[in-house]
Amino acid sequence: MKKMKKIAGLVLATILAVSVVGCGDKSASTSDESNGGGKDTLKIAVAGPMTGDNAEYGIGFTNAATLMAKEWNEKGGVLGKQIEIVQYDDKNSSEEAATIAQKIAGEGNIAGVIGHFASGVCLTAAPIYQENKIIEISPSASHPDYNVVGDFIFRNNTVISAEAAASIEIATKDLGKKNIGIISIKTDWGTNTSQIIKELVEKLGDDSIKIVAHEEVVEGSDDYSPAITKLNQAGADVVICAGMYNLVAPVAKQYKQINPDIAVVGFSNAYSEQLISLGGDAVEGVCFPVIFFSESEEEHIKSYVEKYEAEYGSKPSALTSQAYDSVGMLLEAIEKAGATDSQAVRDALAELSYTGVTGDTKFDEEGNVDKQFVKVVIKDGKFVKMN
Amino acid sequence: MIGQQIFNGLTLGMCYALLAVGYSLVFGILRLVNFSHGSIYAFGAHAALLFVSLKFGIVPAILLSLLLTGVLGIVIDKTALEPLRKKNSIGIASLITTIGISNIIQNLLTVYFGSEKKAFPALFDFGTITVGGIQITWTQIFICIISFALMLLLVLLVKKTKVGLAMRGCEQNAKAASLMGVNVNFVISFTFFIGGVSAAIAGTLISGYYQIVYPTMGYMAGLKAFAAAVLGGIGSIPGALTGGLLVGVSESMAATFLGSTYRDCMAFVILIIVLIVRPNGLFGKKGITKV
Repeated sequence: MKKMKKIAGLVLATILAVSVVGCGDKSASTSDESNGGGKDTLKIAVAGPMTGDNAEYGIGFTNAATLMAKEWNEKGGVLGKQIEIVQYDDKNSSEEAATIAQKIAGEGNIAGVIGHFASGVCLTAAPIYQENKIIEISPSASHPDYNVVGDFIFRNNTVISAEAAASIEIATKDLGKKNIGIISIKTDWGTNTSQIIKELVEKLGDDSIKIVAHEEVVEGSDDYSPAITKLNQAGADVVICAGMYNLVAPVAKQYKQINPDIAVVGFSNAYSEQLISLGGDAVEGVCFPVIFFSESEEEHIKSYVEKYEAEYGSKPSALTSQAYDSVGMLLEAIEKAGATDSQAVRDALAELSYTGVTGDTKFDEEGNVDKQFVKVVIKDGKFVKMN
Repeated sequence: MIGQQIFNGLTLGMCYALLAVGYSLVFGILRLVNFSHGSIYAFGAHAALLFVSLKFGIVPAILLSLLLTGVLGIVIDKTALEPLRKKNSIGIASLITTIGISNIIQNLLTVYFGSEKKAFPALFDFGTITVGGIQITWTQIFICIISFALMLLLVLLVKKTKVGLAMRGCEQNAKAASLMGVNVNFVISFTFFIGGVSAAIAGTLISGYYQIVYPTMGYMAGLKAFAAAVLGGIGSIPGALTGGLLVGVSESMAATFLGSTYRDCMAFVILIIVLIVRPNGLFGKKGITKV
C-alpha cells in the first residue's frame, strides 16, 4: 500500500512538474516578444480573450499586433522608440475587461489599446478608456452603441447594419432564397444583430421575402437541435447565423443532418480557419461577407499573408487583419502627431487616411469606418470568392 | 415537431443517464458526490481525440481511451480521496477535494490541448431515417442502444456478479463487509474505474454526436447529470436512467415552448423541485444522510 502511495505521489509530482514547465515555456515566449522593455519603448496594449472559448481571436490580435510592431521596429521604431506589445487576457468577459481597463489606465504609459473582442465587452471597457483619455481601437466591435461612448473610442470594423445588409443580400440575391430563418447567440451583439436583420428585411419591401423564424441560443451550448427543429418546421430555406465560428459550424452540421439542402449565411466574425476544421463537409457552401480575404491577388495583401503564415503557421483571419491595420494606424498617427500625448494622437488618428490590408480606412466623425465587402463561400474545404 | 423534439431529448437524456450512473455508483459506496465526474468525462473525450489522431484506428483508440479514463478514476481515488478516508476526515472535505480535482483536470486539458473547440470524428455516421415524420440519425439510434446496453450491463454487474455482491456489501456497511473478507479498497477502486469508463463512453458518444471537444465541456453536462442522478434517486442505476431521460426531454421541451435560452435552467429547476418535494428522488431509498 505504502509503495503504491509513493508511486502515485511520484506520478502526480511529475504531472505537476511537466505542466509547470509547459506554462513556463509559454510565458517565456511572450516576454521574448517584448524586447526586454526599458525606457525607450512605446507600449501598446492588446486586450482580448487569450484563453477560453474565443481565444482564437485574442491570440490572433496579439499575433497581428506583434507582427506589425516587428515591422516598425525593424524600420527603427516610432519617434525613435521601440514598440512593445503588452498582452491582456479579458477571457471575453465584461468583468475582467473592466479590471483590465482600470489596470491599463493605472499604468499611465500605454499609448493605446487594441481590443477588446466582443461588442458587449468593449462597451464595458470603453467608458473607462474615455474617462482616462486612452485611445481604444477595437478591430471587431460592431455594435452601434460602441463608439457613441466618446471621441477616444474608435473601431476598425464596420457597424453591424452594413454587414447585415451584405449578409441579407447574399441570402436573397446571390442564393435567391425567400424564407429566412435567424439563429443568434444571446449576447448584446447577437440580439441587436438579429433585430437589425429583421428591420432590414422589412425595409426591402419585397413581400415574398420574409423572416419565418428567429431562435436565440446560448453561446457555447453544443446542442442546437431544438432550435433547428423549430426553424425547419417553419420552412426556412436559408438560415442566417449571428455568431462566431463555434456557432456556425455546429449549426451547419446539425441542420444538414435533417435538411441537407439548407443554405447557411454567416457574418465576417465566423471567417476563420477554425470554421473549416470544426465544420468539415457540413460547412461546404456556407457564405458570408468579409472585409479581408486572405486568398486575394493584391500584392500587399499577398506579402502580408505570407509573412503571417511564416511566423504563425496559419492564415490570418479577417478580424486578425483588422487588428493588424489598427496597430498600423495607431503607430502612424503617433508618428504624425510627433508625440505620445493622447490628445494629439487622437486628433491625428481622426484625420488619418490609411491604406492597409483591409482596404482604405478613414474614420468618420463618430470613429466608424466604411469598408468594401468581399463575398466569400466555402468550396472544397477552402474559402473562395463568390461569383 | 413535438415527436422530433422528444426524440432529440431522449438522445440527450441517454447521455446524461450514462453520466448520472457514474455519480450514483460512487455515491452508493462512499456517500460522496464526485464533482470531478464532469471533468473525467471531458478527459475521456480528449483521450479519445488524442488516440484517434495517433491513427490507431477508431475502435482501438476509443477502447484505449476508456481504459485510460478508468485508470484516471483509480488515480483520483488513490491520490486524493483514500488519504482522506484513512484520516477519517469529514465528508465535506472529500467533496471539496473532488471540486479541486475537477479544476486540475480541466486546466491540464487546457494547457495540453488548448481551450478552443476541436473537431471530433463522427461516429456511426450512416445517414438519417424517417419514422412517422420524425427524422432520426443513426448516431442518435446508436447512442440510445449503446447507453441502454451499458446500463443493463451495469445492473447485471451489480446484481449478479461476485464483485457486484461486494459492492452492495460495501454500500450497506463497509466495516462489516471488510470483516467478511471483502477487500473494501479494491471495491472502491473498481467503482471509480467503472465510473471513469462510463464517463469516457458518454464523452466519446456525445463528442461523436456533436463532433466538438473542448476542456470545459464537462462543466454543464456534469451538473445536469448530477441533477438527473438526484431526480432518479442518487445511488440507483434505474433511477439514473429515468432521471437522465426526464432531464433530457424536459430540456428539449423547454427549448420548444419557452425558447432555447431557457433550456439550461431546466435541469436545475428540476433539481430544486426534487429537493423540496421528494429529497430521496424517484427510486431512492429512505433515510440516507446526504452531504
